[in-house]
Amino acid sequence: MFHPKKASSMNSPMCDSGLVLTTDPKPRLRWTVELHERFVDAVTQLGGPDKATPKTIMRVMGVKGLTLYHLKSHLQKFRLGKQPHKDFNDHSIKDASSLELQRNNASSSGMMGRSMNEMQMEVNRRLHEQLEVQRHLQLRIEAHGKYMQTILEKACQTVLAGDNKSAAGPTLNFPTLQDLNMYGSSDHLHHQSMEMESFIDKKRSTPYTGKSPLVWADDLRLQELGTASCLDDQIGPLSVDRGSDIDSVSDIYETKPMLSGGHDHKKYDVKMDRPSPTPPRTVAISAGGMRSSPFG
Amino acid sequence: MAMVMDLCFPSFESFDYTTTTTTSSTDEGCNWSDWSPVVDWNEISDDQEDFQDLIDSMIDENVVFHQSIRTINDDDQVNEEEYNNSSPEYNMAMHDEAGSAEDSKGLRLIHLLMAAAEAMAGRDECRGLARVILVRLKELVSPTDGTNMERLATYFGDALQASLDAGAKGRPAPGAAEHQRADVLAAFQLLQDMSPYVKFGHFTANQAILEAVANDRRVHIVDYDIMEGIQWASLMQALVSRKDGPPAPHLRITAISRSGTGRRSFGTVQETGRRLTAFAASIGQPFSFHQCRLDADETFRPASLKLVRGEALVFNCMLHLPHFSHRAPDSITSFLSGAGTLNPRLITLVEEEMAPPSEGGFVGRFMDLLHHFSTVYDSLEVGFPMQSRARALVERVFLGPRIMESVARIYRGREAEEGCSWGKWLGAVGFRPVSISFANHCQAKLLLGLYNDGYGVEELTTNKLVLGWKSRRLLSASIWTSQDCDL
Repeated sequence: MFHPKKASSMNSPMCDSGLVLTTDPKPRLRWTVELHERFVDAVTQLGGPDKATPKTIMRVMGVKGLTLYHLKSHLQKFRLGKQPHKDFNDHSIKDASSLELQRNNASSSGMMGRSMNEMQMEVNRRLHEQLEVQRHLQLRIEAHGKYMQTILEKACQTVLAGDNKSAAGPTLNFPTLQDLNMYGSSDHLHHQSMEMESFIDKKRSTPYTGKSPLVWADDLRLQELGTASCLDDQIGPLSVDRGSDIDSVSDIYETKPMLSGGHDHKKYDVKMDRPSPTPPRTVAISAGGMRSSPFG
Repeated sequence: MAMVMDLCFPSFESFDYTTTTTTSSTDEGCNWSDWSPVVDWNEISDDQEDFQDLIDSMIDENVVFHQSIRTINDDDQVNEEEYNNSSPEYNMAMHDEAGSAEDSKGLRLIHLLMAAAEAMAGRDECRGLARVILVRLKELVSPTDGTNMERLATYFGDALQASLDAGAKGRPAPGAAEHQRADVLAAFQLLQDMSPYVKFGHFTANQAILEAVANDRRVHIVDYDIMEGIQWASLMQALVSRKDGPPAPHLRITAISRSGTGRRSFGTVQETGRRLTAFAASIGQPFSFHQCRLDADETFRPASLKLVRGEALVFNCMLHLPHFSHRAPDSITSFLSGAGTLNPRLITLVEEEMAPPSEGGFVGRFMDLLHHFSTVYDSLEVGFPMQSRARALVERVFLGPRIMESVARIYRGREAEEGCSWGKWLGAVGFRPVSISFANHCQAKLLLGLYNDGYGVEELTTNKLVLGWKSRRLLSASIWTSQDCDL
């Protein structure tokens, strides 16, 4: 099925299984276009070069005579993206012409030869592109994450800087709030709440019961998220009770808090260093996993 | 499910049996999406008392389920004394079938929502009925607890309520107030972690932009709703590391801002600009940032844009989550048609993909919305199975207001805007589609692979990639160019 059943060309006698083995001193499997295409199909079916294993590929391809060894090395090369390119270039002309000779029946054998060549180029190109895309995606996601960090850090810093910024906030007395606008600061809230508890002795059903942020995070099992502390701390209280949250928070805003500065800042720095969140796969990416994973 | 319901009624003497059976008979083997109206409300007399009983009967079943399933009954609003005389054998039956009872409750909620929608779509006399239904619905659900369906039902119930209050013609009541600023940021981070919605739109648009400006020295992007500017971080990174074409092209971004305060105000946008400038500097990307103000009525005037000769002009229009889709579709229209007059190199559009409007009128569209958001909830749940509070935050900050807006929009029922997605509109007014490249499609697939197998991407038309969850399409990214422009 990989090659016409006709007899051979120069140096590639065929086996019964249809695989082409060279007559070099070391008999090696020649990855022809069709075989390679089948390989690529199998790999894609299995979810990409990283998910596919030689064993599964072998199963999916269902080609007799193909061993794990063949597949292991080919997969490695495929992942690296260089060797296949070279192989194609080396053998493409030969293959094309040998196939051309073999297809005596095809009336448009000339055209077949040309289109085979084109197909090889196409496959080659696609492979390359795919790898490029993968690399670029990795970088873009990182840039995305880096930028997100700057937003979060800015939000934290602005809080800790306290009342240095001027603002045109009409309703809020606390200057930094208006400046932050939509980012506001979760830390800010947390901070304020902690301070308020000690300074203001009001009885209200506020969710800020003076628990430490770590406890909140645990409660929510958001440790797994590994997001910046800002988020851990404030998700708990704010989502519990909508109505009272807003009341208590705005009450807090009306008086200037006294932030303890240094100590808390450190706390946030520590938390910021945690690796970015999420399901295992993305953790790998954000920790640079994709790059350092065994591509070869 | 239905069988269990039939058992218990003898213990509740105040109910009208006939109507109850009507209800339960419709439940049998009912797939919620095929649900058809139980009762023709218009046929029944206008006497509210009868409806009250009917509703009570529907609801009581729910409440009993509710009580027996929940070990901790957080729902203080339920009128307990009315219902705690449930018979023991009934409760036992409930416990046995807790799982299906939950489904059944979900189904009940859908019935209620649909009934309310029906009532609202009907003659005015039914408004009162709708209100009653919604009040009862509210007693059963909570925005932070319970199943997806329960939380969803809260928002949809609220949305219907708001639409009722606003009336058929006027602008919707100022329901969704601006959220706590801090919440928005937290929810945004969470949304990105839980799902590919944000990145899909951004990355697809960016890839198309990169390809379109491959040989340009100057690029100018006009962004309709820049928010924090996160989309541009990855674009800048890509520009900085591009191998072919002129190195280090200059990037100029003009962000659209609106008068007044709030998330899209001049000040907020300026803050974003500062941040982007700093980021660009940190990676060595030549960059400048501008703002362009909309008129008071939020119309975009192309003349107010500053253009530079020889720059590649791109219009970027992100309408999906978490971008708060604008109240005035006229504003979007003015933006896109204004874009047309300037012959941009590219227009990138990301919007929610809704099914074409069904013939069911308001109710049909309402159910479609319900289905759409239910799918979103499901996808988030799978992405973040344990973090129900985190999800509740995202729902509160982004999805809830979205639901509110969407329901209000279909209730106002303007056919013209209903029929058509913005993509279709662009096609209709003469913009040319631009094919999605192999690399772009590939990137989308890879991106989704990082999240969950339930997500899929399809190339619906040559210029449109659609992100879907399971079999439901959710989000589409499409690329267009002006007719006179040769890419």
